[in-house]
Parts: sequence; structure tokens; C-alpha cells
Amino acid sequence: MTSISEFLGINYIVIAPTLALLLTVIVLLFCTITISTPMYVKKYVSFFGILLTLFTIFLKFGLFLTDVVSSYFSEKILLDEFALVGNVLIGLVLLFTFNSFWQTSEMIENKTTEALILVLMSASGFLLMVDSENFIMLFIGLEIGSISLYALAGLNRGDQLSNEAALKYFLLGSLASCIFVYGIALAYISLSVTGVFDTSIAISYIGPENVPLTTFVGLILITVGLLFKVAAAPFQAWAPDVYQGSPTGYVGYMATVAKAASFIVLARLVAVSLSFIIDQFDLFFGAVVILSVLAGALFATNQTDLKRLIAYSGVIQSGFILSGISSGVYGVSASIFYLITYIIQLIGIFTVFSIISGQLSSDFQISNISGLFKENKYITITFSIFMLGLAGLPLTSGFVSKFILITNLWSYERYILVTVLMLTTVAGFYFYLRPIWVAAVEKTENAVERIQVKNSDKLLLGILAALTIYFGLLPNTLVNITRWMVEGYL
Amino acid sequence: MIAIMFSLLIIPLSGALFVFAISNSRKELFRPIAIAFSLITFTQTVYLLFGEYSKTEFTILSNFDWIQSYGLSLHFGLSGMSTLLLVLTSLLVCVSLSSIGKDHAESKGFVGALLSLQFAINGVFISGDLISLFIFFEALLIPMYFLMGIWGGENRRYATIKFILYTVFGSVFIFIGTVYTAVLSYRVNGKLAVDFETLASLILLESQSRTLFLLFTFGFLIKVPIFPLHTWLPDAHVEAPTAGSIMLAGVLLKVGAYGILRVSIPFFTEGFLAYKNLIAVLSVIGIIYGAIVAIAQIDIKKLIAYSSVSHMGFVMLGISAGGFLSLEGAIIQMINHGITAGALFMLVGFIYERRHTRNIGDFGGVKISMPRYAAVFLFTSFASIGLPGLNGFVGEFMILMGSYNTYKVLTSFAAFGVVLAAIYMLWAYQRMFTGPIKYKENETLDDLNSRESASIAPLVLLMLFIGIYPNFIESFVIQEASLLSETIAMFAELK
Repeated sequence: MTSISEFLGINYIVIAPTLALLLTVIVLLFCTITISTPMYVKKYVSFFGILLTLFTIFLKFGLFLTDVVSSYFSEKILLDEFALVGNVLIGLVLLFTFNSFWQTSEMIENKTTEALILVLMSASGFLLMVDSENFIMLFIGLEIGSISLYALAGLNRGDQLSNEAALKYFLLGSLASCIFVYGIALAYISLSVTGVFDTSIAISYIGPENVPLTTFVGLILITVGLLFKVAAAPFQAWAPDVYQGSPTGYVGYMATVAKAASFIVLARLVAVSLSFIIDQFDLFFGAVVILSVLAGALFATNQTDLKRLIAYSGVIQSGFILSGISSGVYGVSASIFYLITYIIQLIGIFTVFSIISGQLSSDFQISNISGLFKENKYITITFSIFMLGLAGLPLTSGFVSKFILITNLWSYERYILVTVLMLTTVAGFYFYLRPIWVAAVEKTENAVERIQVKNSDKLLLGILAALTIYFGLLPNTLVNITRWMVEGYL
Repeated sequence: MIAIMFSLLIIPLSGALFVFAISNSRKELFRPIAIAFSLITFTQTVYLLFGEYSKTEFTILSNFDWIQSYGLSLHFGLSGMSTLLLVLTSLLVCVSLSSIGKDHAESKGFVGALLSLQFAINGVFISGDLISLFIFFEALLIPMYFLMGIWGGENRRYATIKFILYTVFGSVFIFIGTVYTAVLSYRVNGKLAVDFETLASLILLESQSRTLFLLFTFGFLIKVPIFPLHTWLPDAHVEAPTAGSIMLAGVLLKVGAYGILRVSIPFFTEGFLAYKNLIAVLSVIGIIYGAIVAIAQIDIKKLIAYSSVSHMGFVMLGISAGGFLSLEGAIIQMINHGITAGALFMLVGFIYERRHTRNIGDFGGVKISMPRYAAVFLFTSFASIGLPGLNGFVGEFMILMGSYNTYKVLTSFAAFGVVLAAIYMLWAYQRMFTGPIKYKENETLDDLNSRESASIAPLVLLMLFIGIYPNFIESFVIQEASLLSETIAMFAELK
């Protein structure tokens, strides 16, 4: 006899990471409301919460071993390879950016708890997003995650740029959410389903050639909603302003977590829901990829603000990742590899930025890092490794990810894409090497002054740089993991 | 043998790390330690020269799995040409370490960058597959970037960016070629195997062979550099510090020619046969153009840079003629040009440290104040021109003789390059060293000191040795040159 909970598929382990984060948030709230708690308690509570989340993600692996791919909560929550990798990614992003966002939150007077709660809430939202089997759940997760990020961008209330960033992010983000919901509605009225798997079943049932236009428009709008979050052109306009204006200590987290979740969801959408009609999306994805890399390269070349530069480089990298997602199952695995290595480099870069410029600052000119090599060699070397990784130089993970990706594209005979992507790589060397040049060689008036580097930051940068080199030399493990992710969808 | 091959990678890298680990207060230690590490490498390469793989074609000695699920693995091996170039590299690193001035020798970044450059170059020459070749080919750029960027001349930023962008633009084509080859190999072997043994057995359509040859050769030709793609070279040479120039002219230009000999010709021979005439014409234009432009230079470093364009044109002419003798000559010319151009740049570096100018017009009559220096300069100039009895003659003579059967008109034009070389080198010598002393500053110049003499001496001795006894160096390249020319002849017959 099956109980009602089994029938509905209620299983708390599946959403345990989200619950763990929510629990941490509640404890933090309690700490602030009831008694004045010392700072270090909040620090340890939130850190412990993150560790607990990682542990619960570990539990999900155990569940996956027995249940394999299955749905829970009456087909709202899904446990599959994408969800697991997405969970691990978001968990690790939280862990690696903890140092930055804790230090930033510590500096914002009277709002430390708020800031921590916003960070943890957004992570719980994105965790829900990668777990969702249903477009409605996906939307809920996306909104919980995004709204916290909008607030996070404007947390430094005295700073005009920060306010501007928050408002821009909020307005454009809400617009994207509208488009996303509209897409869900259109897909629903034509197919009468909202599930990720159901969509693909419905499409295969009516036959890929009979799919109505409404469905296409709906699915494209859903994709656009996600593309907005990863800042792919032509939906990239918010990224530079938000990166520039937000408190530097948060940008690393904001940029990586949204990208990780959205790309994982996008990959699943392509591998599952669109699997029968993916050929008809070629033109759309191709256009977005080419626009992204060209727009990114064009704008990045003449940026003077480092954070804007990284934002436009993010547009390029989104184009790269998207190019793999739209070309076959192995392309998806190559993209996930790219995503993971990119996230490692991005976290490293923003950690360096927040060390140099201070956690709360918004503006960060390239000339601000001149003389960094004289001041601190360790930071310069790790920073250079991350930048070279972004540029895709051999011996770093950036090269391996580009190599795998391009090999996949070539085997799918997408020669135009390969040409455009490779030309962008050349242009990339120009603007990725410039900050290294400024840091190592140039001397300007606003050179780096004495900077304090905490041991925890040093350790973090060391780990991230080592990972960048490690995945460049011995990428085997990570490639196998990403291949395992997509094996079920061959 | 395998252990020694890998220590060619490990020892320079650990040398660089070791130098970085020394505290800045012991500045005087940087140079001796770096020289010690580079001497170990040099000894090892000389040992390889007398080992069993120094007279063979390329033999893969070791391989690692890199990305298993794609069937990619890294291969490493040795051959006669590789061994010779490894010896050249380690020798040039040794002498440039000892030749550099105090301000460079006491900077750990400079010494470390030089050793990491050696690591990357060694990697190129022992790579046994396209992936590792590409990895090390690109990795070269980073130490060069810092050598030129931090310790370069006034206009270094422009020159460095130009150098990097040119090379990266070229390597994009090599990258796409690698990917294309890997995908083709996947369709036959079921894995992305691009090691040289698999590639040799890969059968390609003529159109594929042509495309791949173009992709790879374009990338390598930028590095050589051949005539219309050479514009980065003079800028890079002028702005690079002396040691950077020595390595650039001595070894980095050879990396391009090495790539063509190692990858483009043996694996994509049909493509080579289709485009060899074009390359031959371009290289002869390069020979004449480089020489004429060199005559007009007022900066001695730029003059040598353009002479490199001219001399590398000979190498490319020998390669494109594709006969046994011309290929042998091309490989020997690569080594010889490495020695003479390295020596010339070193000599220019010596006088630049004393006078802080490189304009030919600022000198005149220096022979009186620096007799030993003038003698060495004249000797090296003769070697560079190709005076019989010195090393430059051997390679160029073999190339001209070997190419004459294939390209009668082109080779006749190329022979003028030797005459023009005599004009620009000797005229520069005349303006700089002979006559009365025009400027007061030149009266008190110190002659070569013992450190500088010791640095230039091995190169001078080698010029003489190779010139008198070319059989020694020839014995290492016979096997590879004959194999290459046989492959070319076989495909030409099939056609």
C-alpha cells in the first residue's frame, strides 16, 4: 500500500539544500531580532549553514544512487544529473564567495544580517530553480533568486552608482521575468503542459513537424528569459552597469550564481524539452552566439572600468557557452565544462578586485591596479592566471574548455560559428592582457596603495588559481563528470 | 632517455621557481643559479646529441592520457632536428644569461622569464602530437610578453601587443587545423588522436590536405616570418631587451620553420605540393626585400632584424624546393642563423649598454677604442654574410644548390641575397668601426670584458667549427631530410 506522501512523491532530501539555507536564514533573523548577537556568531552561523547545504547536497547523491532520475512533489521537483551538478556548483559558489560577501556584509553597518539573508535567500532560489521540473517552479526559483540579487546590488545606499545598478537590474530583470512568464503561458496554451519532460513528450506526440508557432514563440520567450540572466547579447545591456555599480564584494557572487543556475537550466531545457525540435532553434541560438561574442568583444576593447570589462567579457563567455549548448549532447557537456572553469576564474577575479578596491566600492578603473606587482606579487600572479584563463591560453583551464567546445562545434560542421568565436579569441588577447600589463608594468598616479590581504583570501586565491591550472593540465576528471551528466540524453 | 627528455621541461621550470624563491636581498645569486640550471639543461641536450635518437626521424618515446573520454593523449619524442634545436636553445639561454647586463641579471623576473621561455621552447621541440605542440607554442608567448613588456624599450607596449596579436592570430589557424585534424582522425580511429604516428597513417582527400596545409602553414609562417607577414619582427626586435632578441631571433623564428617541417609537409604533402611555388616566390621576395630594407636602416638592431627576414627567406626557399639537399640545407641554415643572429644581437646589446644608442650614425671609428669587439663583430658579420669557411656559407650554399634544379630563376634571384647581405653588413661595419672617431663618447668605450668574451666565445667557436666541419651537423639531419624529400617525391609522382 502506498502512502499519500509516496504517491505525491514527497521527499525532503530532494529539497534539503534549499531548506538548509532557509533554516540558516531563519536562525540569522532570530539572532538579530531577539538579542544583539556578536558579529562572529553571525559569521559562523552563515558559514555553518553553507556547510550544511553542501552536506545535504551530498545526501542527494545518495538518493540519486537509489532512485536514478525521478520526479518528486507531484512532478514539481526533479532529481537528475543536471540538478546535482547545478546544486554542487551553487553550493561551491557560496563556499568560495563566502569570504568576499562576508567581508562586504561586515562593512555595511546595521545591515549585515540583511545582506547575509539576501545572499542565502538568492542561493536557495537558484537551488530551487535548478531542481525544478516544472516551468512554474522554475519561475518561482528564478524570482526568489533574482529579487534578492536586485536588493543586493543596491545595498550600499549611499552610493549613487549602486542605486542606479539596483534600479536598472530590477527594471530590466522584471521585464525579463514578464517575458519568461509570457513564454510559459504561450507554451501552455498550445501544448497544455508546463513540465520540462512533458513538453518534450507533448512535442513528440504531435510530431516535431506539426508543432504550432505558438509553442515556438513560447519556448523562445522562455529561453530569452534565461538568456537575460546570463547576459547574452542582445539582452546584455544591464550587465556592465550592474557589475560596475554593485558593491565589488558581491559582484563575484551575483555574476556566478545567476550564470550557473541559468545555464544549467538552459542546458536541461535544450537537452530535454527541445530535444526533438532543436534543429529549428539553430538560427536563433546561432544569432545570439554571434551577437554576444561580437558585441562583447567590441565593447570590451575600449573599456576603462575593470568591472565593465569583465562584464563584457562575460557576454563573450556566455556566447561561447551557448554555442556548445545549441550543438548536440556532447556540446552540452563541453559547455558545462566551460561554465565550471569560467566560474572558477570569475570568482577569483572578483576576489582580487574586492581585495584591491575595497569591498564596498563601485567604480574600479584599470589604472587603479597599476603598480600591483610591486605591492603584492602573489595577487598579481593569481590575477594573471585568471585573466589568461579567460583569454584561453594553454596550460590554463580556459584553453581546454575552448578546445573541447570548438572540437564539438567543428564536428557538427558549424564553421561560421567557429570562425567568429576564434576571431573573438584573438581580440580577447588584446583586452585580457591589458590589465595584466597595467598591473605588472605601468605606473600611473592612482597606483595601488598598501593593501591588506587576509590569509583566508590568500588561501582562496591559491585554491582557485591551482584549480585553473589543474583543469588546464589534467582535465580528465571534470570532463568525465560533464560527460556523465549528459549520458542519459544521448 | 625518457627521463632526460622530461627533465628538459622540469629543470628550466624548477630553475625559474628556484630563482623566484630566493629573497631579493641576494640579488647577485640570481644569475649564477640560473646559469647553473641552464648548464644542466645544456649538458643534457649534448648528451641527447650523442644518444640513440639524435640521428633518427621523429620517434615517440612516451605518452599520457589527457582527456580519456575524447581519446586525447599527449605524446613526447625526439628526432635529429629536435635534438639539434634543443642544443641550440639551451646554448643560447646559457650565453644570453651570462651576456645580459647587471640590471637585468639582478632581476628575478627577468631571469625567471628566460628560464620559463626555455621550458616552453623545449616543450615545442619534444612535442609528439598537435595538442602539446600547440600548448607549448602558445605558452611561449607569456614569458616573451613579460620579457618585452617589462624590460623592453620605449615603444614596447605597441611592439609587444603587435607581437602577441600577430602570433595569436596565427595560432588560431593552427588551432582550427588541429581541431579539423582531430575530427578527421576521429572518423577513422574512433578517437581524437592527433599524435604524429597516427597522422602519418591518416589518408586525406586532396581538398582536406590542402585546407589543413594552409591552416597550419599560415600560422607557422607568421612566426617564421615570411614576407608579407613579417612586419611584427622589426618592431619586436627593436623593443625587446637583448636576451629577448637573442631568443627571438635564435630560436623563436625557428619554431615556425620547425612546425612546417614537422607538421605541414609530412602530413599534408598534397597541400604542400599545391602551394610550394607560392611559398617559394614569397620567400625569395623576402630575401631580396629584407636585404634591401636592411641596407637602408639606421638602427643597427633593426638592420639585423631585417637581415633575419632575409635569412629566414633562405630557409623557406630550401623547404619549398623540397629536395634532399635543399631540405638539409634549410635545417642547417636554421641552426646557423640561430647562432649568428644570436651573436649579432648579443654584440649589439654589449655596445648598447655602453652607449645607450643603436644608431649607426652615432658610432664611427669604434675599432680604435674597442679592437676586440670590432674583430668579433666583423667575424660574426662574415658568418652572417656566408663567407666560405664559416657556418653561414654551409646552409645557404646547400639551399641554393638544392633549389636550383626546381626553381632556376627564383634561386638565381635568391643568390643576390648573399651579395646584398655583404653590402648591408659590411657597410654597417664600415660606418660603425672604421675611420676616425667622430664623437667624443666613443673614445672611452671599454673593450669586451671577460664575462662578455666568455659569452660570445662559444658562438664564435661554433661558427668556425660548423664552417670547417659541416659533416658533423649534417649527420644529424640526413635521416630526416631524406625521409621528408622521399615523402615529397612520392606524392609528386602519384600526382
